[in-house]
Amino acid sequence: MAVKRLQNYINGEWVDSTTDEFVEIINPARGELLCECPMSAKAELDSAVQAAQEAYPDWRNTPAVARARYLHRLIEVMEDNFNELSMVQTREHGKTIDESRGETRRGIEMVEVASGIPTSMQGFNLEDIAHGIDEYAIYQPLGVFSCIAPFNFPFMVPLWFLPFAIACGNTFLVKPSPRAPMSQNKLFEMLDDVGLPPGVVNLVNGGAEVADGCMEHPDMKGVTFVGSTPVARHIYQKCGETGKRVIAQAGAKNFIVIMPDAEIDKAMVSLISSFFGNAGQRCLAGANLLVVGDDKTYRNVVDKFVEAAAAITVGDGLDESVQMGPVQNAESKQRILKMMEKGLEEGAKLTLDGRKLKLVGDLPEDCFLNPSVFENVTPEMSLARDEIFGPVASVLRAKDLNEAIDIIHGVPFANSSAIFTNNGKWARQFQHDVIAGNVGINVGIVAPMAFFPFGGMKDSFFGVLHGQGRDVVRFFTESKIVITRWF
Amino acid sequence: MKLNTMAAVMSFVTRIEEDAASFYEECATQYPNMKDTLLSWSKENRKFEKDVKRTYFGVITDTLESNYAFEGLDTDDYAFGTSLSTDAEPSDVAKQSQDMEEKIKGFYLRAAELSEGLMADIPRLFRKIAKKRENRRIPV
Repeated sequence: MAVKRLQNYINGEWVDSTTDEFVEIINPARGELLCECPMSAKAELDSAVQAAQEAYPDWRNTPAVARARYLHRLIEVMEDNFNELSMVQTREHGKTIDESRGETRRGIEMVEVASGIPTSMQGFNLEDIAHGIDEYAIYQPLGVFSCIAPFNFPFMVPLWFLPFAIACGNTFLVKPSPRAPMSQNKLFEMLDDVGLPPGVVNLVNGGAEVADGCMEHPDMKGVTFVGSTPVARHIYQKCGETGKRVIAQAGAKNFIVIMPDAEIDKAMVSLISSFFGNAGQRCLAGANLLVVGDDKTYRNVVDKFVEAAAAITVGDGLDESVQMGPVQNAESKQRILKMMEKGLEEGAKLTLDGRKLKLVGDLPEDCFLNPSVFENVTPEMSLARDEIFGPVASVLRAKDLNEAIDIIHGVPFANSSAIFTNNGKWARQFQHDVIAGNVGINVGIVAPMAFFPFGGMKDSFFGVLHGQGRDVVRFFTESKIVITRWF
Repeated sequence: MKLNTMAAVMSFVTRIEEDAASFYEECATQYPNMKDTLLSWSKENRKFEKDVKRTYFGVITDTLESNYAFEGLDTDDYAFGTSLSTDAEPSDVAKQSQDMEEKIKGFYLRAAELSEGLMADIPRLFRKIAKKRENRRIPV
């Protein structure tokens, strides 16, 4: 049977790519070929931007409430296809079916919140700024925006931006990750069902050529991105040169601090989920477990953590008994293995060795790793500093909270940090002092909610306004001040 | 079979509610004098299943913690028979029904305990369903 080739969606039509370069999309759990993704050429991106630019005047003049109704219809279609959407994510990414359902739910939440645009896009006014003169601020859309999407949340991440952008009256283009493009393909089938005017949303599959096109095209008003720090920095610089707005959410090395009074038994499920959920491939994943306290406290925490990590069942995410799926591709696994080797060379102790595979079912091993836990990790080691993006936890120690915060500040990333404690003073100090875009108190994953802005600090974020919430509405609009007097 | 993920728990809920509903439907054909009660329970079982699924799909998130919470749930502990012999007396059916309801109730209460604090709506619904089953008694 011929392998399905994904198409681009441009100007309301599904079209074959003109490229002869395709990437095979492989189910990482089973090794089966799912489809081929075209690596589209810049000319295809140009034609999508042109369609979006042509659709923009009519779309921005469509009343906000009418734009929101398209989103209401999208929510209905997504709910009707909830399971199918989730299955696609598991097959192309490897995450468990529950994790995919969670991703689907979060994606839908974005559309729900964006559909409140008739309220959230409102401006403000003041009568009589001078005698008989009034002033008001209105928010207006800007034109064409794009999203360069990552592989780790292939369905949800573009929804951090797309529904808000079009709700504000902009038009939009998605370039899915060429490692996991199927979820976006499915989403665009639904956007097609909803009947948006041609050109309002566009999908161009591809790699660096399409991404560069987004950064360079003169009609592109802004670029949103989620991915690694080097690429985020490049996008930020490039868009600075071409005068575009940017939200570039980047890498992470998140700390979870365990204070001596933490309710460790209650915290364990949260910790395990944070470190090993999505096989550690998320920018909010716990990476460094930083234990504060004496040897007894340390041993108690680490023994329980290792025991829980060792008990995680690993296999095909569609198997409901599986708690952790594979990493997304074989290259990822090799990269993670190299980083583990480097950690060993630097003197860390591999207490739980996830290289020794224990899988549920007879599966190809190319993309699988079981959870790993390193002890004796010190702040200068690569294990403590570099983003691994896999199911590998590094355990560090600190004598007190001040030292813990200093250690956290020693890494270049600042996406998320969490503390587990019952002490309000410590929690308050942590929240106040720690440099991180997202802070958790007795919460393992500081989840991005649709109605709050989400973004990191330092090398974890490049831009000014964050994604989601009020920030993203401002990002996708320009404020205009009007001062009126009537004679 | 061990139930260690939310998805597995949901599939088990579907199975037990479907099995129990089918059991009551079969009973209703054999005992016409109890038909209304039995069919109302069958209908209620399907509503429970729907409510659980709707709640699960409504509250599940990408920060899933419940995937690691269900330690110690085993389907073997909640197995019940649903086959009805043609010469069964009403008292046998009543006993079988009661045994089944106790097993299902026990499952929901244990699952509620294990998911406590993770997805608040789920344990609340599990407890509500367990409570609603308390008054199910086939009069002999």
